[in-house]
Amino acid sequence: MKKLLNALPVLMMVAILAACGSNNGAASTPAPTNNTAAEGSEAEVKAPVKTELKMALTVDPDGLDPHRTTAASTFQITNNIYDTLVKVSLDGEFVPGLAEEWKVSEDGLTIAFKLREGVKFHNGREMTAEDVKFSFERLKGEESPRAGDFANIVSITAVDHYNIEFVTKALDVALVSQFAYPWTAIVPEEAAEQLRNNPVGTGPFKLEQWVPQQQIVLTRNNDYFTPAKLEKVSFIMMPDATSQITALQSGELDIISVSGDAVPQFENNSDYSIIETQANAVQVMAMNLDNEALSDARVRQAINYAVDKQALIDTVWWGYGQEIGSHYPPMLKEYLDTNEAIIYDPEKAKQLLEEAGYAQGLTLEMYLPSSYPNYVAAGQVIADQLKKVGLTINIHTVEWGFWLSDVYTGRKYDLTVTGHTGRLDPYALLARYHSESKENYMNYKNERVDEILTQVQQERDEQQRLELYQELQQILAEDVPALYIQSPIGLTVTAANVAGYQSYPIDIYEMKDVYFTN
Amino acid sequence: MVKYTINRLLSGVVVLFVISWITFFVLTVIPGDAALLSLGTDATPERLEALRESMGLNQPWYERYFSWLTHFLAGDWGNSLFFGEEVLTLIMQRLMITVSLAVFSLLLAIPVAAIIGILSAIYQDKWIDRLARTVMQLGDAIPQFWLALIFLVFFSGKLGWFPVPGFIPVEEGWWRSIQSLLLPSIVVAIGLVGYLIRIIRSSMLSALEQDFMLMTRVNGLSSAQAVFKYALRSAVIAPVTTILMQLAGLLAGTVLVESIFALPGVGRLLLVAVEQRDVILLQGTVMFITGVVVCVNFLADILYRVINPMIQFGGERNA
Repeated sequence: MKKLLNALPVLMMVAILAACGSNNGAASTPAPTNNTAAEGSEAEVKAPVKTELKMALTVDPDGLDPHRTTAASTFQITNNIYDTLVKVSLDGEFVPGLAEEWKVSEDGLTIAFKLREGVKFHNGREMTAEDVKFSFERLKGEESPRAGDFANIVSITAVDHYNIEFVTKALDVALVSQFAYPWTAIVPEEAAEQLRNNPVGTGPFKLEQWVPQQQIVLTRNNDYFTPAKLEKVSFIMMPDATSQITALQSGELDIISVSGDAVPQFENNSDYSIIETQANAVQVMAMNLDNEALSDARVRQAINYAVDKQALIDTVWWGYGQEIGSHYPPMLKEYLDTNEAIIYDPEKAKQLLEEAGYAQGLTLEMYLPSSYPNYVAAGQVIADQLKKVGLTINIHTVEWGFWLSDVYTGRKYDLTVTGHTGRLDPYALLARYHSESKENYMNYKNERVDEILTQVQQERDEQQRLELYQELQQILAEDVPALYIQSPIGLTVTAANVAGYQSYPIDIYEMKDVYFTN
Repeated sequence: MVKYTINRLLSGVVVLFVISWITFFVLTVIPGDAALLSLGTDATPERLEALRESMGLNQPWYERYFSWLTHFLAGDWGNSLFFGEEVLTLIMQRLMITVSLAVFSLLLAIPVAAIIGILSAIYQDKWIDRLARTVMQLGDAIPQFWLALIFLVFFSGKLGWFPVPGFIPVEEGWWRSIQSLLLPSIVVAIGLVGYLIRIIRSSMLSALEQDFMLMTRVNGLSSAQAVFKYALRSAVIAPVTTILMQLAGLLAGTVLVESIFALPGVGRLLLVAVEQRDVILLQGTVMFITGVVVCVNFLADILYRVINPMIQFGGERNA
């Protein structure tokens, strides 16, 4: 007994010491942060306006190299570290970024940019046309997952230090939008190898520290042409929603994203502001037209008639979502309200099923991605509503990796609930409905849709394009290769003294304009 | 003893090797890989192909395994596909947090469990025993994530007794750092107490029932003397092994608590490795945890013998 009592604490001490020792040895990445110390001294000096902001994230980004990933989690952050030639305004207009102005040639095949002069990378070197050329070549390179998107650019010429020209092979009527996405960031060649963990850009903030699963700290780039108001932005990794709310309430965080059920905790409370933003995204229940029954438009329509969308949105998203009738988010200017095309009517659903020869019922397999609890919940509500018109739905909740490989790319499913994020160019959102698109996981085929999608790419008249896009929305609303559920409303809660935080039509966190009022 | 030790060490190496192979193989068989997970719904066949090529996922699995194994044996744990950082660095950054969490929760759980467990064995079927059984059942029945959430909202949020979720590094002060681990440790400890009570109680009961206990009374020892001098010594073996195994198990087993309290520990690292199909990170983390379990097992065996020399090792008498 005595030996034992002696041995246990020793063992534990050894374990602790070993751990501490190795931790110190491994602390090669970060310089220690002293947030608490800084806050303390500030309070003493009575400098009341905070300049350090903390925002919660649920997951780490997939690296900070914008040319080597497609993950939204990366671009939400890298947008603050790097710049693009063109930026997008709150209402979706294209405004100067690193390029002061640009000009598209008569034939629409060439675009020329004049760069802002005197812009410096975080390493102190000036950014020139050569860096732009290098960045786009890197983006078109073999290791770039977006290379295909930029294959249409066939030549890049740096005319001089501050002028650069891009030549495209086929006409792209929305060419300028291609230079506004956060993955078209301009990077310096000398730092390119290390960008994943050591990003170097020209942006308003530079990376100070990234401790995976703990935090990402950005500090202000004082050389930026319109310097940010905050000195420091920390993204704190907090996977659990309740923890985030507790941390916001105790003042440890300044900004968090919440789901609808958390709103009542902050509503009518002057300590917080709730920001509602219409997302550039749609959430749908896709149907696989390879299934014989689902290839019949009447069955698909019946499924649409059978689901009470408003009830679904109220149950799953606590009412924070806008009902849609087609694959298009209401926030974009080409949007056409197609909600009238099919209005909830279970009787009509039964009748259509009978006409299609499924009066005796039909069994369908529904796959739901477990990492998206909202999609799982939505699928369950839908399945329940479909049961009432005589359909049997077998629900399979699957892991995200399985969903991606077997359901999404493998197209082995009947029904699945998922979301699609919009781009700046409407074509990118709708292109998956082309019968030959590799992203057409619904196996949808409609000749007129193919025609429209081919035609709209060559149409230089904006009014004509608008009409084509609206016709396409109408076709989808009637032919329903999916049950179009809603365009989600994003909910952000900030401490009341946070101002200037706004949401953009692309998925980014723009921290440059954020500041504290006291 | 020497022969036994060598045998145990050798079998440990074999276990490590087999586990490494199984992990690698399982991750190759299950759907989805790191490239697909990275691309998500942006995946097209061309993009997948390009990314797989650049991640080296296009080689057959046995080639990749062999390449990983040779590097690993040479001491190179590789770089995580997802974080880009060295695997060993990532593990070491998290080890202190997880080990502290495990040790703190055991330090909290052991005294409580020992007192209740011993008393409930001595006073079998009395009120203390009934209390112990209730505690055991509560400990087993309360889901850990639920307890963690309630504690977080109540003690950390409402009362402000504990700091908000998130780990405070040691650089910012030892005490603050320990404080940030206290509430999660209590949650883990509550989960452990019930189990430990059961082990201690039953181990104590069987010790009290042994023949030599009767002998101590015959020889004139008081009840208390008998318990402290003989019963405890014989009863302590099973709990010690259990506690050591719990310690090893906690290295990977606190993932829920780590997630809720936003602690960057080994459990969460393992979770990300699986979610992102980060083969290199997963291999490293699994190897590390298996290594610890093997070592602890080994240690438990040795301790067994130190505490109770009556236990004989197979084959030793002939040696």
